[in-house]
Amino acid sequence: MLNTARINLRLFWDGAVLSYIALFRWLRPSTYIASKVFGPLVYMLFFVLLGRYATGSSDASFFVIGNAIQMCAWSGIYGITMSITGDHWDGTLPYVFGAPANRLIVFLGRAFIHVIDGYLGVVLGFFWGITLLGLDLSQTSLPALALVVLITTISTSGLGMLLGCLSLMTRNVMFVNNTVFFGLLLFAGANVDVATFPGWMQSISYALPLTRGIQAGRAIVAGADLSQVSGLLSTEFLFGLIYIALGYVLFRWFEKQAKRRGTLEAV
Amino acid sequence: MNAIQVDHLRRVFTTNVGRFRRESKEVVAVDDVSFAVGDGELFGLLGPNGAGKTTTVKMLTTLLIPTSGSARVGGFDVEHESQKISSTIGFIFGGERGLYWRLSGIDNLRYFASLYHVEPAVAAKRIPYLLDLVGLKDRGNEKVEGYSRGMKQRLHIARALIHDPQILFLDEPTIGLDPVGARELRLVIRNLQAEKKTILLTTHYMFEADMLCQRIAVIDKGNIVALDTPEELKKLVLDLSVIEVEVFGVQDDLLEKIRKQKFVDNVSVENRDQRQILTVQTPRGSEAIPDLMAIFDGRRVGKVTSREPTLEDAYVRLVGGDA
Repeated sequence: MLNTARINLRLFWDGAVLSYIALFRWLRPSTYIASKVFGPLVYMLFFVLLGRYATGSSDASFFVIGNAIQMCAWSGIYGITMSITGDHWDGTLPYVFGAPANRLIVFLGRAFIHVIDGYLGVVLGFFWGITLLGLDLSQTSLPALALVVLITTISTSGLGMLLGCLSLMTRNVMFVNNTVFFGLLLFAGANVDVATFPGWMQSISYALPLTRGIQAGRAIVAGADLSQVSGLLSTEFLFGLIYIALGYVLFRWFEKQAKRRGTLEAV
Repeated sequence: MNAIQVDHLRRVFTTNVGRFRRESKEVVAVDDVSFAVGDGELFGLLGPNGAGKTTTVKMLTTLLIPTSGSARVGGFDVEHESQKISSTIGFIFGGERGLYWRLSGIDNLRYFASLYHVEPAVAAKRIPYLLDLVGLKDRGNEKVEGYSRGMKQRLHIARALIHDPQILFLDEPTIGLDPVGARELRLVIRNLQAEKKTILLTTHYMFEADMLCQRIAVIDKGNIVALDTPEELKKLVLDLSVIEVEVFGVQDDLLEKIRKQKFVDNVSVENRDQRQILTVQTPRGSEAIPDLMAIFDGRRVGKVTSREPTLEDAYVRLVGGDA
């Protein structure tokens, strides 16, 4: 029992670290750091300044919080999808599926570093918001905000894991990723209040991760305590778990179907 | 108990054709294949492209579910006990893909060691040993994307051995390698044979099968057409001699004409740059050369030689067509 746990922990860690390295090792360290630090800055500036101009408001906190939390979708959607689908493109999938490794551990391992990466991305978004865009956190419980960001990053990564499995079945990985990422940008309410959406759009918003996380983040920054957003947070977390579970079921279904139909190497 | 036992294995693929009015089409990749491989045996599966070699290996390595028939590997059923089989086998498919190119050779082996539940302490000793075995000792820290094709294929062998499996499936391991790379890889396979591993090797290089395999099954159109030792298979063509004719731009009609001659048993053509080597199997030996030359009727012909038949000639007789 203990030995199995140790083996799986090792598999989880190696899968997490090595799949992440495999994804980004083509970048020089300086390019990697620049993409992680300055990319989010440009992104934040664009949406926050656009939002401020469009609304005529001098208070940018609505846009700063929304877009800072949305930052986790970069790693959660793009990173995780590419990590999972990378096996398809590298031709390593038959060797992964031919091994006795626990599939759930393999599956979760691919997402782990991206969750951390996404979390740091949000932290950086808030950093730019505080230093350059005037975000005020004086009323904010920082541990509560940290928890909001963690749960939202996990739930958004859950959607990424589901998409990663979908991407095993399509050549159009980037098309799917782009559609979902920009869909989130619209529907999760990073830049427009979800309450102003027509009913059918709100239905979509609340079926997605991130929406409730952004709302909870705004409330916490405004001074709410954790108990006031516990409903939003627990539902956000539940949605994350549902997406992860769906992704895992799809991952296993894909393996079974590929072995049945002989499509394991079809790209 | 045999290490590998295959009974009437069959695999049919269903493909859809047409964009709007999609129609299903069935392709029989493996029709009816049965054979057994003993413990520690190096068994060859020989056949032309599309004969069903890779499909057979995929079913035996649990990557493909058979349509019908059964197979046991290491005593376990390929369809219902795939998890148990995966711990006891190693496999490689020819070509460069199947490795994490942006990771080093060592990191690739480290990850596959985790996938196969190899203890870290064991992996730490085994990885340098395997890199040495496949001649990559000094290149293990380099990213795989900088490896030559031969190096990648040797790393594949190391990957397949990371958990020290007793049974190995090597599907065309030397395909696309230069002669030196292929020779090095064959040496590795020889060493594995010396370690008493059970190996199923697929190839369409006759000399490779002749050199390495204790027994060979020739597969064609999804069926085993012969199964014996290389020596016994060669006896299939003891009644024949082989005449090789160097020709330039031989036409199909001429080939057909040669095939129809009574003294010709089989003809195959191999392209070599601007010329072709026509290999004619005949029971009349070198006596057939004048009659053969008469068919060329003044066309440009290069060197003409007569020789004893080889395993390749036996193979050509069994599967026919171009080798």
